[in-house]
Amino acid sequence: MSTKEHIDRIELLQGTLDLLILRTLLLGPAHGHAIAKAIEFNSDDVLQVEQGSLYPALHRLIKRKWISVEAGTSENNRRAKFYRLTAKGRKQLTLETSKWDKLAGAIARILRPRRQEGRP
Amino acid sequence: MKRRKLLLKDLDQDIRDHIDRETQDNIDRGMSPEEAHYAATRKFGNVTRVKEDTREVWTFVWLEQLFDDIRFGLRMLRKNPGFTAVAVLTLALGIGANTAMFSVMQGAVFAPLPYVNPDRLVMVWENNPRFPRTWVSYPNLQDWQRSARSFQQMVAFREEGVDFAGPGTPEHLNRKEISSGFFSTLDTKLTLGREFSPEEDRYGGAPVAIISTRLWRNRFDGSPEVLGRSLTLEGVDYTVVGVTAFGVTAFGFRLQDDADVYTPLGQIDPLILNDRAAHDGIYALARLAPGVTLAQAQAEISTIQNGLDHLYPDANRDLGIYVEPLKQFVVGDAGKMLLLLLGAVGFVLLIACANVANLLFARSAARAREYAVRVALGANRTRLVRQLLTESVLLSLLGAGLGLLLAIWGVKLVPAAVSENLPRSENIAVNGPVLLFTLCTSIAVGILFGLAPALKSWNSHPQASLKEGGRGSTAAHHRTQSILVIVQMALTLVLLVGAGLLFRTLRHLSDVNPGFDAQHIMTFKVGVSRSLTKTVPATRTAYQQLIERIRQIPGVQGADFTGSVPLNGGWIMPFWIGSQRPASLQGAPRLVMFLTGPDYLRTMGIPLLRGRFFSSEDTTNSPCVMVIDSVLADMYFPGSDPLGQTLSAGFSPVGPCRIIGMVGHVKQWALSDSSTDIRSQVYFPLYQDPDQWVLLNYPNMTIVVRTPLDVASVMPAIKDAVYGAGSDQAVYDVHSMREIVLDSMSSQRFPMILLGTFAGLALLLASVGIYGVISYSVAQRTHEMGIRIALGAEKRIIFRLVLGQGLRLVLAGLAIGAVAALILTRLLSSFSHLLYGVGTNDPLTFFAVALALTGVAVLACYIPARRATRVDPIVALRYE
Repeated sequence: MSTKEHIDRIELLQGTLDLLILRTLLLGPAHGHAIAKAIEFNSDDVLQVEQGSLYPALHRLIKRKWISVEAGTSENNRRAKFYRLTAKGRKQLTLETSKWDKLAGAIARILRPRRQEGRP
Repeated sequence: MKRRKLLLKDLDQDIRDHIDRETQDNIDRGMSPEEAHYAATRKFGNVTRVKEDTREVWTFVWLEQLFDDIRFGLRMLRKNPGFTAVAVLTLALGIGANTAMFSVMQGAVFAPLPYVNPDRLVMVWENNPRFPRTWVSYPNLQDWQRSARSFQQMVAFREEGVDFAGPGTPEHLNRKEISSGFFSTLDTKLTLGREFSPEEDRYGGAPVAIISTRLWRNRFDGSPEVLGRSLTLEGVDYTVVGVTAFGVTAFGFRLQDDADVYTPLGQIDPLILNDRAAHDGIYALARLAPGVTLAQAQAEISTIQNGLDHLYPDANRDLGIYVEPLKQFVVGDAGKMLLLLLGAVGFVLLIACANVANLLFARSAARAREYAVRVALGANRTRLVRQLLTESVLLSLLGAGLGLLLAIWGVKLVPAAVSENLPRSENIAVNGPVLLFTLCTSIAVGILFGLAPALKSWNSHPQASLKEGGRGSTAAHHRTQSILVIVQMALTLVLLVGAGLLFRTLRHLSDVNPGFDAQHIMTFKVGVSRSLTKTVPATRTAYQQLIERIRQIPGVQGADFTGSVPLNGGWIMPFWIGSQRPASLQGAPRLVMFLTGPDYLRTMGIPLLRGRFFSSEDTTNSPCVMVIDSVLADMYFPGSDPLGQTLSAGFSPVGPCRIIGMVGHVKQWALSDSSTDIRSQVYFPLYQDPDQWVLLNYPNMTIVVRTPLDVASVMPAIKDAVYGAGSDQAVYDVHSMREIVLDSMSSQRFPMILLGTFAGLALLLASVGIYGVISYSVAQRTHEMGIRIALGAEKRIIFRLVLGQGLRLVLAGLAIGAVAALILTRLLSSFSHLLYGVGTNDPLTFFAVALALTGVAVLACYIPARRATRVDPIVALRYE
């Protein structure tokens, strides 16, 4: 784990992936691959997530009862697991989103203080 | 849980599906199937890792990992038996010593007293500007009982031995004279019977007694019919009304000193109970009322006492009051001393830790390659540190196991060696709280000594380690190891200085002239038969005949009575010179009074400085005389002749008596008696003791005998002489004067023995430590030494090089240790009477101790230094 290889990759902050999954599932139940695709697509491919890391996150969310899982059939009639946002998860999403906004705002203020003072 | 199993079982399939879908997407985008599958797999990441991480979500991974770590750790320890043995043994010494010390602390100080709600039990003392605690005046106590609301119950008791005549052989018993309600105040149940009623607790009440379980078993065969039977105490038949549980009123002092018999306090001589000015052996014990704090009780009773002081200005002048938790009274100064010793033994543990840390450093250098390989293979650094910490905690737990055995053995020795100075010593054992302490200590210690080497491995660069071919980075190790050795030396010096100061104190004390000749003197008491002491004249005759009989024994060179034996405290009383009685006895100066027979001075070998000592002609029929000591003469007759002047003394004063002689000062409180003690002394002839005091004073007399024979061989003859005068007379409290002198030093000897042991352990561990580090460094530098020798360096130079390295560490440690010792030994001087004849910064002690430490350390470095000079350059160079 020497540092070099990590430098170019934007790693997701701890818990951010959870937030993204919850956000994706807000639109409706989806299976694992669909969630990965949706995250990639919606972020214009900027967030390079190893798709595999989705699975520990999904299980973590199931354990916390923020999402539930049910069997179903996918678009091409294959069996698949569908993940669905629970009421608890919805609440959590609201909470996490507002937290994220605060954090992002704060970081933005720190990184660009000069503009706020109106200097070039 | 079921859901979890199901989910995990499907995980493989889910992942496969996922990759299939991604592959299909890629094919749809126009990739070849092979390319598409490869891209999908790459995008997915490490499948095994994903599975592991997912499983981790559901399991207590850390627990599984812990088991793995423990298994691996045990394997590593088994693989290095030498290292493991040394480390475990070192830790066993450190942890064992700490466990033993903590057991003492727990048993003597922390454990609660064996009563219901023991923290509500308090002692109530009177005090005055001279003494923080005095016995209480019984009339005052009765007023408190009537007025104070802060106490659920308040009772009095007095400890007054008693001669027991039967059933069975005569014996002197510990007795408590107690108020009615004594046992209900303690809230403790009697094994049999009842406690005294208020009617029995007054002068002329029915003679009733409560006995201990021991007396019940020994003298009444433990029969339940004991209630109503009688026993004879000093010629009076008492009816047994109760039996106490074992050791129940020892208050946690030594159980063997607990009372064997209890009689009602209210029945004792009204001379003591009705005199408000008398403070004669009466203790007040109380239980705080529910919800009342100590401070509230103190405030209320102080107000009451102020009122009493105004009402009875003569008897109560300057009297204050002090409410003290019973536990604090029982534990006394011992708690503070034990805390100090616990700190000292903590140093030993730190030194042991430093040793093990050094061993681990040396080993982690050897294992650097292992760590590097693991990190290179993708091991998580946190995991690695955790693994190492598990290993070190394992080590310390093993050490703790062995240490516990040491402690169990050591704890048995402690009370035997020091019980004189330790309250509740029978309470001391390796029990639950002690085990908990040991467990916590060993885990903390394991982390402490494991952390530094573990963190070092954190910072090591795998590439560097692999490149170095397993030699590890040495420079940084050396620095840490050197620092550890310096710390060890410093800690050891502090302990050595502490022990040295106490050792010097004991040396000084044994050089002190006690003011008498302690050789060939023995002391004992006799319970003279009540049939011989019914009247005052009969008593006088009986005692005179007794001492005459003893003087006849072959080998006895002198014998006489004294009211108090040197070094054992004495009767303090107010006095004045001349005929003008001071307005208040409370405000008068104090002296120590010796009531003695005429041959006492000669028997004890106390020098007569002026005039004469009294003779058998000084009796109640002749003018009253007294003899003063040189201290009183210097203080109150500076530049004038005390002989022929008059002096009166006592709360019920005798005198004025003519001063007929002056004798040397005798150490009465301790060999180190200081200016804060009452040192003025007066001798008053036993045969002039006023009639009204004879029956109270005579039974308390101690007999001193000068004989060159040892106690064991002269004792039978003495017993024969005593029994010849009355078969129901017990001989008790037999001591040689040398024993008494030794006992008087026990408050110094106890910490000296323990501090000395700890310092010895520290010295051993620290010298092993410096030996290990220097040896290791020599081994590391074999190559360098080989080159030096090959280039023509003399053995002398090599020797000096290595020794110099060790010496530098020692000197640095000494410098730091000396500063620390200067600060820490002040703690010793915060105990009154602990140090004698040495200051806390006694240069001789510091110098001697530093020299000893340097000597031992140089010796420890000598072996590796010799080894360095023997390096064969050929071998050393080929060694690479």
